[in-house]
Amino acid sequence: MIKRLSFLLVVLALVAAACGGTEETTETTAADDTTVTTQADDGGTDGTDGGTDGGTDVGQDAGKSTLDVVKERGKLICGVSGSAVAFSETQPDGSATGFDADYCKAVAAAVLGDSTAVEFRSTTAAERFDVLKSGEIDVLFRNTTWTQSRDSDVGLDFGPTTYFDGQQLMGSGDRFNVDSGQADVDGAILCTNAGTTTEKNIVEWARVGGAEIVVEAVETFPEAMEKFKEGTCDLVTTDGSGLVGNKATETAAGTPGAAEWVIFPSAPISKEPLGPAYRQNDSAWADVINWTIYATIIADEKGVTSANIDDNRDIDPEAGRLFGLEGEVQSAMNLPADAFYQVVKQVGNYDEIYSRNLNPVGLTREGSLNASFVDGGQIYAPPAR
Amino acid sequence: MAIEQHQRPPNWRNATVLKWAAQIAVLVGLVFLFVTLGAQSLDNFADRGLTYSYKFLSDPTGVSFREGIPLEPDTGARALYLGLVNTLRITISGIVVATILGTIIGVARLSHNWIINKIATVYIEIIRNIPLLVQIIFWGAIIQQLKALTDEHIGTYAFWFTSAKGITVPWLFPDQGFYQWLVFVIIGFIAARFVYRWRMHIKEDEGRETYAISWAVGTILVAGLIGWFAHPLFAFLGGILNAIGDGIAAIPAIVIRLMLLVLVVAGVGWWIMRFFRGLRAGDAPQMNNRAVFGLFAAALLIALAVVGGFLALAGGLEGGPFWLSLGAVIAVLVVGLKYLIDWVAPRTLVSGLVDDDYFRVIFAVGAGVTLIGILVGIEAIGETIINAASAFFHFLAPKFDSTNVAAPFRYAPPTVDVRGAGFVQLSQESLVITPGFFALWVGVTLYTASFIAEIVRGGVLAVSRGQTEAGNALGLSRFQLYRFIVLPQAFRIVLPPIGNQYLNLFKNTSLGIAVAFSDIVMVGQTIYNQTGQTVPVVSLWMAFYLTGSLILSSIVNFANRRLKLVER
Repeated sequence: MIKRLSFLLVVLALVAAACGGTEETTETTAADDTTVTTQADDGGTDGTDGGTDGGTDVGQDAGKSTLDVVKERGKLICGVSGSAVAFSETQPDGSATGFDADYCKAVAAAVLGDSTAVEFRSTTAAERFDVLKSGEIDVLFRNTTWTQSRDSDVGLDFGPTTYFDGQQLMGSGDRFNVDSGQADVDGAILCTNAGTTTEKNIVEWARVGGAEIVVEAVETFPEAMEKFKEGTCDLVTTDGSGLVGNKATETAAGTPGAAEWVIFPSAPISKEPLGPAYRQNDSAWADVINWTIYATIIADEKGVTSANIDDNRDIDPEAGRLFGLEGEVQSAMNLPADAFYQVVKQVGNYDEIYSRNLNPVGLTREGSLNASFVDGGQIYAPPAR
Repeated sequence: MAIEQHQRPPNWRNATVLKWAAQIAVLVGLVFLFVTLGAQSLDNFADRGLTYSYKFLSDPTGVSFREGIPLEPDTGARALYLGLVNTLRITISGIVVATILGTIIGVARLSHNWIINKIATVYIEIIRNIPLLVQIIFWGAIIQQLKALTDEHIGTYAFWFTSAKGITVPWLFPDQGFYQWLVFVIIGFIAARFVYRWRMHIKEDEGRETYAISWAVGTILVAGLIGWFAHPLFAFLGGILNAIGDGIAAIPAIVIRLMLLVLVVAGVGWWIMRFFRGLRAGDAPQMNNRAVFGLFAAALLIALAVVGGFLALAGGLEGGPFWLSLGAVIAVLVVGLKYLIDWVAPRTLVSGLVDDDYFRVIFAVGAGVTLIGILVGIEAIGETIINAASAFFHFLAPKFDSTNVAAPFRYAPPTVDVRGAGFVQLSQESLVITPGFFALWVGVTLYTASFIAEIVRGGVLAVSRGQTEAGNALGLSRFQLYRFIVLPQAFRIVLPPIGNQYLNLFKNTSLGIAVAFSDIVMVGQTIYNQTGQTVPVVSLWMAFYLTGSLILSSIVNFANRRLKLVER
């Protein structure tokens, strides 16, 4: 009897504890909210706090701009691919090199004054948005295409396009040429990586041309390349830049037939504007990312490079403002005045970043959409005033 | 008696009262916990600007998959169905092969033949000590190393053809007339049952061997043979199925919902009736089963009316007051039920009911009310059932159309042919095992077989040694010993743990994503990559794996109940 009673008491106590526990949690959350608001006010990011309280981040950081989070942490956590040739390739020491990786470094240089204060996080195409939304990374530079659904449905915002790309296909040289089209791929098995816009594009493209294809979607693009090389797939498809990069790597590695691989059609089957993505409704952070990119573009327009910036810092009033001399606007963005000076000094301007990473694999700016607007391309930045 | 009454402890020390209080408190606590957590998560999603919906199920997907029918599903629901079918293909074929292979290896492990014994041991030790994911990737890498297809491979092969694009083997596909032929086979099965009984009867009467099993198998074969030529006889079934489909489509949705309601009420009444019948001590109760059934069915309807009436009237209440008054209504119903049970018990010669018995009956009624609430709440349910049933019959009907004598099967040899713009592919006409299917199937099957082998070995060893010795004393051969004495007894022991392995196999198929196999997980991932609807997709995965596991385990439990020794 006593045994049974004591058991009951234990059960009751547990139930009571469970209920109490829930209440406590609620209280703590409420308390947290208050503290966060105060902190945010101290931080001076009223811009984000005003309308979209709590709309930007998760956990205890709710209501706080990612900018403050990064500053407090002293390190930028940047999501990259890690396996995209020339865009972001993970190095043995855990860092990454490439076009996207350099932009991570540029953001770190702007916010923290140190382009090495970056922690690279390799993400697969499939997981990247969840990793970003959950707050595990601060910004995503992962050759990500800006699309309407991602901008709205998925809950992200996109920054300026850093690379204008387009989807193409790659196949063996004896069967295809640069003018090959839908009729030439009828009946083929195509490999691509899952969770990308390419998956949908290729299906639409083939259907429009009346071609019947089978799509094999694998987790990462290197796997797709592997299957293509082994003959599991007849063709491989992704953004043109990725194909050019992979062809260059494989040719260098001496893969049989790689030098004859053909990338087609010459007019890409889709528009793939690649750029940074960040959590939506965080204007303070969005401004920092966007203007870091614009700063590299403006520096390129003015011919200011990492080598000559110390001499050319005040080449004209706009450069002076952008690189932290008189009348700078960076302080209003809650950044150090010399933020963009550090970007160009430590990482370089757009052309330097591009040439350093993409020229070696055979991607050139001349005549492409990625040329400066002065040369007929699409790379253009708003004025720094 | 009077003294006991006098010594009844006060409520706060009465074990019965406290036990009831504790049960109710736990229930309330749980409901509260889930409601709070749910509301909190929804708030958090809203805060982060995430809106989740299941709209993707009816939206076009625009993607295409490596295998499944059709390769380019038009809606999200259709795509998930494709993934579901692929998962089940692996699961079912994997379970069959793993069981056979596992049993053979398990017995081999006990063999006195040194080589066979060691081979089995090495197999088990290697396979079960390497993580399944590694094995699946290994098989995926192996098949990728096979030869690439070129023009010189075009042609038809006698046995099988392996390549980096997959493996193709000879296969029989159902063809025209297959379903009509199937009707013959089913008739054959039914006839075989009677033939078997008849032969067994003679055997028991006259004590001579009558080859009952051979006779039964022969009956099925004869039916199949006749059906091969005579199957157009059943062409008329197509019309009947069509008529049934049309008939179902004509039923108003309200009828289906009413039928469901009746079904639930009858189910609960039947369960409670059986409950009282099971506890009855003695014959000729004052109240018969039918009365108990009617009484509790009525009680359920009254409870339903009370809760429904309350919800209709309590529209103005919110939050605390609403929950409190709902709690009060439920408490009154529970107490009422308790009195009803107390009133029924002596009249059905049931005595000594303990608290758990009360809880069972009350929960049965509560579950009935909840279920009906759901059925009433979801308006589309009647229409969905009608559409599905009618679509099913209309889907079956054309399969009976064929009126000419065609072979029910089509033989498809392994063929390599040219497709579209000149691509050399494994023919779509023959059975193609894709690289993903091969890697996942071989991986999970071999892995599960190694565990089943160990279970079988344990089960065989658990059969008492006296049984083997008795068999040997009778002069049975080793095969007879295993076939008639050891394995039937071992089977009882191994069934529950083998059931667990089946569940593991089912859940392990989700690793197919590693080798690009379009199972339900991969399809779901593709969908949420395109739509961003992570949480809804994950919830569908969970629902699928939970339902599948429960069905699988209830099949195993059913078999287990049927096979266990009847003890009295």
